[in-house]
Amino acid sequence: MPTMIEFSNITKQFPGNKALDDVCFSVEKGEIHALLGENGAGKSTLLNIFHGIYPDYDGKILIDGKKVAFKNANDAIEFGISKVHQEVNLVTELTVGQNIALGYEPTRRGLVDYDAMYQKTDSILERLGCRFKSRDRVNALSTGEMQMILIAKALFHNAKIISFDEPTSALTDREVDRLLKMILELKAQGITILYITHRLDEVFAIADRASILRDGKFVGTLNIKETTKEELIRHMVGRDVSAYAVRNNPLCATDEVVLKVEDLCKNGVFEHISFELHRGEILSFAGLVGSKRTDVMRAVFGADPYTSGEIYIGGKKAEIKSPQDALKYSLGLIPENRKTQGFVKNFNNARNMALASLNRFSKRGFINDKKILENCMYYTREMNLHPADPEYLTESLSGGNAQKVIIAKWMTTDADIIIFDEPTKGIDVGAKAEIYRLMEELVAKGKSIIMVSSELPEVIGMSDRVVVMREGKMMGCLKREELNEEIIMKFAMGG
Amino acid sequence: MKGFVKRFSRELEVVAALAVIMIVFGLIQPIYFSPDNLLDILDQSVINGLLAIGMTLVIITGGIDLTVGSTLAIVIVSVGNFTVMGLRPVPAVLAGMVIGFVLGLVNGILVAKMKLQPFVATLGMMSVYRGVAYLITGGWPVLNIPQTFRNLMDGDVVGSLSSSMILFLVVTVIAYILLKHTKFGTYLYSIGSNEEATRLSGVNVDRNKIMAYAICGVTVALSAMVMLAKLGTGEPAAGASYETNAIAAAAIGGTSLAGGKGSIIGTFLGAILLQALKVGLVVCGVDTFWQYIATGLIIVFAVYVDVIQGKLSAMRLNKKAKA
Repeated sequence: MPTMIEFSNITKQFPGNKALDDVCFSVEKGEIHALLGENGAGKSTLLNIFHGIYPDYDGKILIDGKKVAFKNANDAIEFGISKVHQEVNLVTELTVGQNIALGYEPTRRGLVDYDAMYQKTDSILERLGCRFKSRDRVNALSTGEMQMILIAKALFHNAKIISFDEPTSALTDREVDRLLKMILELKAQGITILYITHRLDEVFAIADRASILRDGKFVGTLNIKETTKEELIRHMVGRDVSAYAVRNNPLCATDEVVLKVEDLCKNGVFEHISFELHRGEILSFAGLVGSKRTDVMRAVFGADPYTSGEIYIGGKKAEIKSPQDALKYSLGLIPENRKTQGFVKNFNNARNMALASLNRFSKRGFINDKKILENCMYYTREMNLHPADPEYLTESLSGGNAQKVIIAKWMTTDADIIIFDEPTKGIDVGAKAEIYRLMEELVAKGKSIIMVSSELPEVIGMSDRVVVMREGKMMGCLKREELNEEIIMKFAMGG
Repeated sequence: MKGFVKRFSRELEVVAALAVIMIVFGLIQPIYFSPDNLLDILDQSVINGLLAIGMTLVIITGGIDLTVGSTLAIVIVSVGNFTVMGLRPVPAVLAGMVIGFVLGLVNGILVAKMKLQPFVATLGMMSVYRGVAYLITGGWPVLNIPQTFRNLMDGDVVGSLSSSMILFLVVTVIAYILLKHTKFGTYLYSIGSNEEATRLSGVNVDRNKIMAYAICGVTVALSAMVMLAKLGTGEPAAGASYETNAIAAAAIGGTSLAGGKGSIIGTFLGAILLQALKVGLVVCGVDTFWQYIATGLIIVFAVYVDVIQGKLSAMRLNKKAKA
């Protein structure tokens, strides 16, 4: 079969991070080509380059043998390359037809020719076998049906290539079946499909070939008929195991249970989450993006409500309805997103470190700036913060140093249990190593840590035990001796 | 010294702008520099200044209070009635402060607990409070405010300094300390700058927000009672559109409508600057219509200076990051 898309030496550099490194592979005309890899392997970046969302990159993309360079997503759509996102993005107040034709409505004498428009969009919906019509309102449809609209939109623009980015993550089982059938239908009509997913079952159900990325590098393309799930997973894992994500000191977990979560459920988000955290332990939560680990942690911390279940701290039932309550139980949370949840933008390091402990730094409501400054100086030295200036605005620090400020904030509260949510995301290797050392110091002092991480090397290197989650459910709990990348990925992907 | 300039850079800018305005007017009309005129500027800044101080607290949390004019009207007619009915001045002032506090509390609850957008919530309450003020008097003004009350709120104290000017200065100092040196003040800044991070740090965001609106209600009540003392009558129509001048004084002083940034000294100076401009234009015999234009241009210019400074500091940061 002739080649449809050729990725040739694609490299994409983000500040402090090479997202794609010399990626080369090709996609044949009319095939369903799966793109696989762990979180952060570069799949989405590659797709964004392909669709013109990141116009700046090195290397070239050939379509039908001709070089293309899209300046934005609309360029790509007009060329016949459409994308069906994981999050459906439609104007729910408009009709189905208006959404499909949005921005490209047929006109007559300057006015929208609705009859012509609906005729055309209806014929596309018919071709797709949809049960709804162009004049229906979008807000009455289900998520799966909304995704059909995106596919119809692609066909409206005469798409030759359609890419799907995790299209099934929000669908019911029946909707998934219907979508996969439709994708096979599109293939039969000669359309080339790029398909990103974490669900290997779907890959084996529809894909012809699969290309695998790892750490931004291309690993290989496999024929689905000639491979197995195990082989695919083996190619996806095995990233550069960081020499830093190791425990330098002996494990120090005791038998004392400091936190016990029993059958925690949140309707439609996660269910039946039960685990115990021991004093001096690092308990990790592994899983793919969308496995709802962060939601569980936010519920435990009181940041979001949950439906049912119980939380015990130090053996006693704990009522945690807000982060304020969590603080009373000596919990701390280092959130996933430093900028929007972690630190206060206009505050300097001294104030950000003191924010959760102002009661301690104040008398009758008046704050003691000297104590706040001393506290900051202490942690600046301890953590090797750079620049070592308490007046420095935290937002101006590098990611690693800003993360240290947030960790210092919880060390200042003397929290017993600290939840680290993706603690090394977007941080350079040196700072990562320092954060691992801080975690080790904390458990050595008798604190306990829960770490949510999508970085397998750090999960394996740092954890006493690992809970693996998949789509809101606990898939298993692994001991340190049992840990390896294959087994974690197997649980995480439901293989 | 360098630290001082850095810390009070915005305030110093307003001082410089104020100096330029005053020198220009003084050169055109030397009488502008007479002690009487300068005191007059301070005196006439009090009503807007007190409103603006409360407004600054609310804006720092990322909110806004459009009810200040209507709250002022409720306080002016109810305290007016109390005094006419024979309530002594000090209890009357305390009663006025309580009314302001409660009205502010209601705004705060709408915003913090019911999660209404501050602009819309206080826009609605602006109309409600105005209606209440009219209902209290049946639309009539309250006349013949007793001289004892007028002396307490706006009488001469030391030389030419009136009690209202001293009140303004005292409230400014208290608000400054509240913002700079208390837990509450620190929380207001952090809520306005990043509410989610503040909440996740275990801070009771709702309670602190509500308190900001309630304290704003108290400064508005003080402003209302100064006005009542100055005029000797309490009109239910008083204070209409005063919220704009209060917001203007805060904005000129460097308070960001996006929240998280602002200074009481800046607001104090902003209120003085607005009045200095107004008085100057009157002294120089400029048509009143031009006053509106001049005031508007000053506000736009002040905010633009903020924008430019933001860009400059971002550029400096970028350079530093690259180096």
